[in-house]
Amino acid sequence: MNANATQFLTLVRREILRFVRRPYNTFLPPIITNALYFSVFGVILGSRIGEIAGVSYLQFVLPGLVVLGAISDSFENASFTIFHGRWNDYIQAVLTSPMSNRSMVAAYVSASALRGVVTSLLIVGVGLVFTSVPVANPVYLVSFLLVITTLFGGLGVIGGLWASDFDYLTVMNQFILRPLVFFGAVFYSLEVLPAFWRNVSLLNPMVYMVNGVRYGMIGVTEIDPNTSLAVLTGTTVVVLSIDYVLFKRGYGLAE
Amino acid sequence: MTEPAIRASGLQKRYGDVQALDDLELTVEQGEFFGLLGPNGAGKTTFINTLVGLVHKDQGTAEVFGFDVEEDYREARDRIGVAPQEFNVDRFFPIIEVLEHKAGYHGIGRAEAQERAEDALKTVGIWDKRDTRFDWLSGGMKRRFVLARALVSDPDLLILDEPTAGVDVQLRHDLWEIINRMNDAGTTILLTTHYIEEAERLCDRVAIMDDGQKVEVATPDDLMARGTDTIVLELAEMPRTAPRLDVEGITDVELTDEGLAVTAMGGSQTAPAIMRELEAQGHTVTSLEIRRASLEEVFVDMTRDDREYAEVSA
Repeated sequence: MNANATQFLTLVRREILRFVRRPYNTFLPPIITNALYFSVFGVILGSRIGEIAGVSYLQFVLPGLVVLGAISDSFENASFTIFHGRWNDYIQAVLTSPMSNRSMVAAYVSASALRGVVTSLLIVGVGLVFTSVPVANPVYLVSFLLVITTLFGGLGVIGGLWASDFDYLTVMNQFILRPLVFFGAVFYSLEVLPAFWRNVSLLNPMVYMVNGVRYGMIGVTEIDPNTSLAVLTGTTVVVLSIDYVLFKRGYGLAE
Repeated sequence: MTEPAIRASGLQKRYGDVQALDDLELTVEQGEFFGLLGPNGAGKTTFINTLVGLVHKDQGTAEVFGFDVEEDYREARDRIGVAPQEFNVDRFFPIIEVLEHKAGYHGIGRAEAQERAEDALKTVGIWDKRDTRFDWLSGGMKRRFVLARALVSDPDLLILDEPTAGVDVQLRHDLWEIINRMNDAGTTILLTTHYIEEAERLCDRVAIMDDGQKVEVATPDDLMARGTDTIVLELAEMPRTAPRLDVEGITDVELTDEGLAVTAMGGSQTAPAIMRELEAQGHTVTSLEIRRASLEEVFVDMTRDDREYAEVSA
């Protein structure tokens, strides 16, 4: 194995070990939270709502909850690990090594995307306890999950470099990401919205992610999945390029 | 031609109103044990951080073994092991894994990284703590560990920023021994320290920095020779007032409880002339002691300004 691959894999491995060895902080919370979502929104309220788009309410909200967990965890992983490393200066062990900036970005984003994918699978696992989980378009499902976890891993890198206190991480996750996801048609269909709010919702990028994953799972979408996938992939490339430039310039890392 | 281990030319770095590096020129040859002395704020750590990529210079060039620290940063950093003054260690993992990761970041495969991590911990004498996290180590062990981490990539240039700050005498000597062994094996050492004795004992050459500039570079002996020595003479009959001595190099003559204290450049060269002058004036010298200027005194002279000196001699 060449030195570049060893460097990249070492950092990826370090990142994976960090979240795998702390399941109470990383994997247990989405399991419990989603079990509560399924119980309250799916079982208790869902039975009164009936079907949406030809599937049970539980099956309708499942893709949205998968997206919520995937992007929250991939974003949180990258932003936390970089910010915490900066806060305690131990990221300097990476920065003072001969790793290329490209490898550093790729490693942080890959490990964070992986955590987002694992969280998605756990949420699907919890969903299976409550309902059957269809996979209508597996290629789209996998593609959307990979793209959105990579995108949010990349955004997490920016967040981790920008943050100057732990409060910043909370602000980004709780006050920006979560509201966008909740208004991203996770719990409702865009059809039920008045035309004005429907158009406003289309400005929310989460709508495209939720609809994409929903198309992959239950085969129903209100937005063309190919367009969504293309836009999200383009956005991901832009975000990763920004990550690279920030690392190269030492933004938040070097004086 | 062999490239120097470090070559800095016209290096400048400014933080707001503070000029941390001001046209710094410095060359450290391969295999040298080089000391960097200077009061707080002199620019020592800024210079080190420029070499390892934690500070981006404003102007000038810095090279490590001929590799520019920004253009060829990967080649330059691959040759450097750095033990910073502050503890910047990954607290999530046992220390042996932290070392394995550091070796991996330098492109060393897993099996060899594990071997090197074990060796590095044995070298600094904390192998039995390998499964402990950094936070649970004692202060001295933490210093040892930071050195182990710098060694794990087998660097050609070992940069030690205050490696013995706050450690007891025994540990300081242990660390000196390890560092000396590295230097004997051919590793170039760049050492910053507040302990002047450390520089005096260990370094081949010393650079004194102040206000982001190099004030002087010389061997510790050369620097000390530039200081003013004190020659204490006991006379058979002490005069009531200090005699006037017409000898070149003398800067001060005074009577003290110990005898006649003569301050002069190059005490050993000046002493015979002083004795001849005293005897010519009718005095009989019964004993003579030359107290050489310490590197610390030279250092203080060279960096004298409005700063506090307390930390220098701490």
